[in-house]
Amino acid sequence: MARITAGVGSSHVPLLGVAADQGKDRDAYFAPIFAGYDWTRAWEREQKPNVVILVYNDHASAFDANIIPTFAIGAGERFKPADEGWGPRPVPDVIGHPDLAWHIAQSLILDEFDMTVINEMDVDHGLTVPLTMMFGAPDAWPVRVVPLAVNVVTYPVPTGNRCWALGEAIARSVASFPEDINVQIWGTGGMSHQLQGPRAGLINAEWDNRFLDRLIGETDELRRVPHIEYLRETGSEGIEMVMWLIMRGALGPATKVLHRHYHVPCSNTAIGHIVLEPA
Amino acid sequence: MTGHSDIHAYLAELEDIPGTRVYTATRARAGYQLNQFAMSLMKPANRDRWKADEAAYLDAWPMTEAQKAAVLARDYNRLLDLGGNIYFMAKLFSTDGLSFVQAVSTMTGMDVGEYQAMMNAGGRSPEGQRSIKGNY
Repeated sequence: MARITAGVGSSHVPLLGVAADQGKDRDAYFAPIFAGYDWTRAWEREQKPNVVILVYNDHASAFDANIIPTFAIGAGERFKPADEGWGPRPVPDVIGHPDLAWHIAQSLILDEFDMTVINEMDVDHGLTVPLTMMFGAPDAWPVRVVPLAVNVVTYPVPTGNRCWALGEAIARSVASFPEDINVQIWGTGGMSHQLQGPRAGLINAEWDNRFLDRLIGETDELRRVPHIEYLRETGSEGIEMVMWLIMRGALGPATKVLHRHYHVPCSNTAIGHIVLEPA
Repeated sequence: MTGHSDIHAYLAELEDIPGTRVYTATRARAGYQLNQFAMSLMKPANRDRWKADEAAYLDAWPMTEAQKAAVLARDYNRLLDLGGNIYFMAKLFSTDGLSFVQAVSTMTGMDVGEYQAMMNAGGRSPEGQRSIKGNY
């Protein structure tokens, strides 16, 4: 049977993709950020996951203002890097896992999570930047990916509790997939940042680190953090952190931390990264 | 449960944050054509037509005159007030060749150098920036 062996949390700032694609990832500005992922790159080479369920949000790339799916799962064979206005990133196509994606989608719907299924879409920096951070610049990504896109743009976005519960349901669905494969789940976005208005540039390192603390161990306190707290404390785009709770929920009642990293700033954003295992 | 049973109370709280326009359904509805216009700039042929004559390009979109004027002025705070969403507005500023930092800084009253210096020093503190009513 398939099993979820680990969870990874990571920011997905587009500038990280630019830095990596232009070979600037070890210059003075970016080196402290990328150095925090060196441990994870080595660990991923040992772990050799078969599939990553990659929780991210689309930034007006695959979805325009017309259709706003709260939770959407990508069931296609492959997904191309999106052109976000600066040209598509020069990274490999993302290879999907339609069998697992459809298995998860069907299981979730029976489990009362009514997913939107996407067959064709391009994937933007929200998905490709975490792949770069964890795997560098290979000719082909060393994993298949099941994209799971979450609306964190148009309010109300899903509650933290709902995200956590979705993670729990994803874990149940993966456990009933008949192939013996190693599956990781990644939650991406955040940490504190605000890209709009006179309050732009807000960073809250103290709150971000308490968020990281509460992903570890048995506490489920983050289920009950309301949207308004993310908005007040971590900026209007800090709400992306609810996507990390899907990852956390999928790891079961308790976790242990393998690696942790935090750095300010990258562009407008606080970078956070954590690697967790079910405990 | 973290759910709010009262959508009205939930939405009212979202308006209590200084210097912030949360992208609610009200804004999404007001800004629908504005955001779809911005999205249209993702097609190279549309970008070419836009760059050749911005005003003529805008005339094909059923946007308000205020929205069109704010687009032409690249007044991003005003565009957010009129229903623009930052990820859609990014299509406009990326067409202009601006980065997120460059475009975002225009909304803060700082020049880009001052804004970057603030970020490099740890960013804007949330102190006094959390609540209009509570002033904390």
